[in-house]
Amino acid sequence: MNSDTRTRTGLGHDAVGTFGGQSLRLPLAIAGVLIVFALGTVMPTRFASDFVLRLGNEGLLLGMLALSVAFLMSQAGLVALGAASMYGGAGFLFAIAMGEWNLTPLSALCAAFLILVVYAAILGALIVRTNPLAFMMLTLAAGEMIGHGVMLEGLRDYTGGADGLVVNFKGAVLGMDAADFASPGRFWPVAWTAAWLAGLALWAVGRSRLGAILRAVRENEERMRFSGFDTYLPRLIGYVLVNVVAAVAGLLHVLNAGFVSPESLGLSISTNALVAALIGGIAGPAAPIMGGLIFSFAQDEFGARGLTQLLTGVAIVLFIVMFPRGVVGGLSSAARRLAQAMGGRREKS
Amino acid sequence: MIALLIANSLALASLLIMLASGLALIYGLRDVINFGHGAIYMLGAYLGYTVALVGGFWLALVVVPILLALVGIAFEYLALRPLQNRSHIEVALVTLGLGIVLGQIIIFFYGGVARSVDAPPILSGSVMILNLTYPVYRIFLIVMGLGSCAILALWLGFTSSGLYVRAVSQDPSVARMMGINADRLSLLVTSLSTAFAGVAGVLAGPYLSVDPGMDAAMIVNCLIIVVIGGTGSIGGAIVAALLFGLVQVAGSVFLPSIAALVPYALLMVVLLIAPRGIGRGRVLN
Repeated sequence: MNSDTRTRTGLGHDAVGTFGGQSLRLPLAIAGVLIVFALGTVMPTRFASDFVLRLGNEGLLLGMLALSVAFLMSQAGLVALGAASMYGGAGFLFAIAMGEWNLTPLSALCAAFLILVVYAAILGALIVRTNPLAFMMLTLAAGEMIGHGVMLEGLRDYTGGADGLVVNFKGAVLGMDAADFASPGRFWPVAWTAAWLAGLALWAVGRSRLGAILRAVRENEERMRFSGFDTYLPRLIGYVLVNVVAAVAGLLHVLNAGFVSPESLGLSISTNALVAALIGGIAGPAAPIMGGLIFSFAQDEFGARGLTQLLTGVAIVLFIVMFPRGVVGGLSSAARRLAQAMGGRREKS
Repeated sequence: MIALLIANSLALASLLIMLASGLALIYGLRDVINFGHGAIYMLGAYLGYTVALVGGFWLALVVVPILLALVGIAFEYLALRPLQNRSHIEVALVTLGLGIVLGQIIIFFYGGVARSVDAPPILSGSVMILNLTYPVYRIFLIVMGLGSCAILALWLGFTSSGLYVRAVSQDPSVARMMGINADRLSLLVTSLSTAFAGVAGVLAGPYLSVDPGMDAAMIVNCLIIVVIGGTGSIGGAIVAALLFGLVQVAGSVFLPSIAALVPYALLMVVLLIAPRGIGRGRVLN
């Protein structure tokens, strides 16, 4: 919502104005944020059971996926249904880098991360130039491609086929070994910090010139192109950025779980991330992460796997139908203006 | 060899044409991609399985499309019409959610096991054509696929309702100004689209298997076809479906180890050289 009104006032004003207004409240805000962060790092590990922490960890990682989906939705007006290929792909690459290539944990993480970023950049270069609806279809197709690719007979030795892979984790990353990552209590601060960093990073990008350009392109791509802006590169950078967040979530997940299965590449992971983003709301960095936590605990509550999928579908419909302005308001007005722009162009031709 | 390959790809393309042209039709009128189309196809296949058990394959081929046309009418009244002022992305997401719900309901009733449907006696077995033995059922599939293409082309090209559909697809606002009732057309097109999905579902029974994963597999194929064909272009979708069938079948013959990835490779190549697809889709013009 907020971003909407800001973009309408103009690009330059947006970039300058918001920072000036905030400087007075800044120290208080920073102090408040730091206190919440510190309490959130310590308190759950003291008071919550391992079971609750495990759900919380899953929720934070799903929240990071939701954050990546939500950022692209709110800033660029694009819906990505391919979060799973980053999430599961990170797991597979890390497991393969450890097991097959005999890398140290840190270099395995870096290798997996680099491959994912290159993949996201190549895929993004192909698909961000299409219209939002085609983009949505293409991310879905690309996600399924990776899912099928892992199951290929010829890659069975690498990927373990339907069985997935157990990570052969020796050594330590940042002073944590396999047992540390597997422990819910010791993993929580890592996931918590990562979620915060991801949230802050994307929030900062949203406030930057890049964010302003992305929103302006979302509102009216043609106008931006006529005004002399490159509309392709910003969207590509935005796409790669959200995939970086998703890849980090995937790497953390494989460190925590210690194994990776083909299900982590499934469409349901992508739709779960979408639902988490819709539950939390797509505006701002905190809401999608909250959505991830809510989803994780709700999923536990509704137990059986079949029911989870059913409720995922119901949630998508409910949240979009019931909260038209609140949840995807920015998206809605963007598309309407896009439609108007299209209509106008058609009449001229 | 080559003739066999072409025949097999035509048989596969027949199913894809029925589904992808249904998607393109709805898109033309409503600007909405129905992500739940795979689930509707799956509903057609499972209903076809049930009706075929009770009254045989031919009854299923008649009854199921009628039932699914009713589903299409419900879909139009309960989802598309109330949401027609919402952004197309939101409506697409709603259809995705509805598709997941429908798929889960089907799995709830039929369980997670694959079912098989037998072709009727007259269509089982093989015939000799040009020194090749070929399954009769696949010939039947090809006839049905090409037949539905022809009917679609005749309807769009030579009837007034077809003309209206083309007009709205080309320019909704001008078409409305000229007094075309887009809502009534949309009802027709949506029920036609789901009925076609029902035909495809029943036909898929004896050809592919009827299993819980068929909706996701098929919707992904259809989305690839719609993108390759140029979003919303029916002619493009038909050409893309033929191309897709050929590539898929050729892939499984010549590159069996990576056959599953060949359609995606086709998609990437098309995106690279013609990001708007091969047809002339409206929104991408």
